[in-house]
Amino acid sequence: MAHPQAIEVLVRRVAREVRVRRAEHWGLRGAFWGGLAAVVVLSFKAGLGTTALVVAPALVALGMVAGATYGLTKRVDPHDIARLADRAFDLADRVATALEWADHPDRTPLVDALVADTVERVSALESRQIVRRAIPVEGRWLGVPLLAGLVLALAPAIRLPMGALVDFTPSTETEPHEERTTTDPMEERSRPLSATPLKRPSFEERDFAQRSGTGSGATAGDLSAIFKDTALSSQRPDFNSFLKKGDERLKLLEQVDRLPDLQSDFTSSQYKMVFKKSKSLLSGLSPDISPQKLRELLDEMERLGRKGGNWSGDASEGMEALEGGQTDRALEAMQRALDKMRAMEESQRSGKGLRGGRESERGARGRDRARGGGEGSNGPEDQDFGEGEGFLPGKGRSTMPKGDPTARLRASPFDVGVEGESRRGRKEGYDTNLTGRAGQMPSRLMYLGVIGQYRKMMEDAITREQVPRDYHDQVRNYFQALDER
Amino acid sequence: MSQDARVEAFVTAFEALRAEVEKVIVGHREIITHVLTSMFAGGHVLLEGVPGLGKTLLIKTLAEGLELSFSRIQFTPDLMPADIIGTNIIVEDADGRKHFQFQQGPIFAHILLSDEINRATPKTQSALLEGMQEGAVTVGGASRPLPAPFFVLATQNPIEMEGTYPLPEAQLDRFLFKLRVRYPALDELNAIIDRTTRSRHVTVSRVMSGSTVLSLRELIREVPIATHVRDLASTIVMATHPSWAGSPEPTRRFVRYGASPRGAQALVLGAKVRALAEGRYNVSVEDIKALAAPALRHRVILNFEGEAEGVDTDTLIGQIVEAAEAVTASGKEVFLR
Repeated sequence: MAHPQAIEVLVRRVAREVRVRRAEHWGLRGAFWGGLAAVVVLSFKAGLGTTALVVAPALVALGMVAGATYGLTKRVDPHDIARLADRAFDLADRVATALEWADHPDRTPLVDALVADTVERVSALESRQIVRRAIPVEGRWLGVPLLAGLVLALAPAIRLPMGALVDFTPSTETEPHEERTTTDPMEERSRPLSATPLKRPSFEERDFAQRSGTGSGATAGDLSAIFKDTALSSQRPDFNSFLKKGDERLKLLEQVDRLPDLQSDFTSSQYKMVFKKSKSLLSGLSPDISPQKLRELLDEMERLGRKGGNWSGDASEGMEALEGGQTDRALEAMQRALDKMRAMEESQRSGKGLRGGRESERGARGRDRARGGGEGSNGPEDQDFGEGEGFLPGKGRSTMPKGDPTARLRASPFDVGVEGESRRGRKEGYDTNLTGRAGQMPSRLMYLGVIGQYRKMMEDAITREQVPRDYHDQVRNYFQALDER
Repeated sequence: MSQDARVEAFVTAFEALRAEVEKVIVGHREIITHVLTSMFAGGHVLLEGVPGLGKTLLIKTLAEGLELSFSRIQFTPDLMPADIIGTNIIVEDADGRKHFQFQQGPIFAHILLSDEINRATPKTQSALLEGMQEGAVTVGGASRPLPAPFFVLATQNPIEMEGTYPLPEAQLDRFLFKLRVRYPALDELNAIIDRTTRSRHVTVSRVMSGSTVLSLRELIREVPIATHVRDLASTIVMATHPSWAGSPEPTRRFVRYGASPRGAQALVLGAKVRALAEGRYNVSVEDIKALAAPALRHRVILNFEGEAEGVDTDTLIGQIVEAAEAVTASGKEVFLR
């Protein structure tokens, strides 16, 4: 078996190199901290005199020597050194394995071959530095304390501030006492404190005094005694209710949706808003009027008409015309609806259409309106009736036991009646037909009205729901096909 | 015979067998090397790859290069354990007396090709467990040894997963390496076309006998491994466990189960073969790092997050190896410690 002496020589050489590098590393660190100490010493040069100039470089040298000594004496593990050599000389862990297995009790015949191979390779190595020099952070900043120390050594001594702190020790000399001739307003505050401190009443004491209620004299802490001769004396300050009210107010503030919207303009009604919109719509046109905006406006008018106006039919007609591409007709219908809306607004402003007041007055007003047939009579919902009169079942002059039917049906051209007859056969069925104007209309109006909504819902669903990406185009194509029909 | 000669013989045999296989198989040098490594380490190999990449051909060529018996089982869903192991059948002797006689299954061969192993049911897959681990099968209460060396090479297709039964972890753990057969490069594809579309017939020579394989397996066990190299192997295996204190962040996040001690054995044995194949007498850190992926990729089981994020096991193992190196501090400068 080849003796692993060459391996041990290599390890010793690398270990020596490691120690040198360690000494450099730790020496630089020691020099840095020694330099810092030297700067401190040189800062007191004025006090220390020439001693500082001797001590400062000694500190630097001492730090460096101490660090280097520490680095040199630090333990070096031969196996770590072997691994370092393996990496440095690209020996594929041969040195570490051979060093470990050379004296291993379970060594196999192959280990001898390994050691021989390693010795041969190690012997052929060229001697070179393999351990990199590692400069510590302190080493990079070593120049700073050295330079500062040099500057301090060459510069004149820094004079330390000589001012003494304020002497708070009592003076032995008696100060001349000035007699005060005038009354100083501050004198009140410098009044000596009372020997018996003022006792502040607590709530417990007060409650106890009030609950007892039998004491004729005011006990200590009974604040109500102050108001004994007033109405307040019988009232307990109820902090709990105060806090409770405060809490309620805070809760009310948290309910944002219940708070009034102070930013909205209450002077303008919905009708005025519609007027404004129509004005802005019609002002900048005319051939390029936006059908979308016109449709929105008509839709809003139709909605308002359904709430309590008689222009919903005109608005619906306008929408129908717009769907058919007849913008002129739609504009005319909108104008008619606007006229009706304006008339109603004026009638309300004149007070004719206002409700409220006493029942008797409301009844008289209703009779007057019935006689005059004014513009405010816009249908059954806007009509006022006297006491006991009206369409409600069992009331008024109606001969019908359940009251007269409302005139809602066919009040609008879009109201639809259904007529039909039962069909005989195996199963009971009915043949039905739509009557009225809606029955004559093609179904595309409703279809076109809803297909846009459905398409929008489809887009929302695609983006919101987990529709597989591959199906997106398929879904869109389906709705596109519906639109084309 | 000196140790140098033994090692030289191993290197020669290894290279010769690889050269014979490379006569037929174009490219896939790393796969061939790992298959041979596994064979000499005494383990079994699972080859994973899409159809048409030459997995079966590689194994058949390897069998032709060895003086060993070879059998092939095409795994199907209706394959039964008895179809693999064999069964007792009633035979009638010359006197007219009937008795049971054991009919050996295809598992009784030196080299067993288990083609598309994931197409058989787990019950049938498990029929291989005992043979792969113990080198023997038990039929009718009698243990029957398999011929030595016994080497299982299984293939599976990673994409046609319908109608397949993924191998259970216990079965996967029996394989020393899991190798991923990838598509050939352009020049390799051209070479494949040239080699397979001409009339020239390639003859594979038998370069190694079964006894040679067994003796070389003995040599493998003698390769020394340094403590720090062994520590790296065990640290890598431990770092695959999410519950281990020193496991890296990717392991904790994406791994459900880590590698078993068999993984560490596979790592070290494979590294020993790799060292000898390169003519070295010792295992190095590089050997361990090179074999970490094939030895551990089928032993690291990803959790749901890992599966959902499509974490590549090889990438994960690479991160684990880096973390293990940091833990063993092999990369740290010696003189700073």
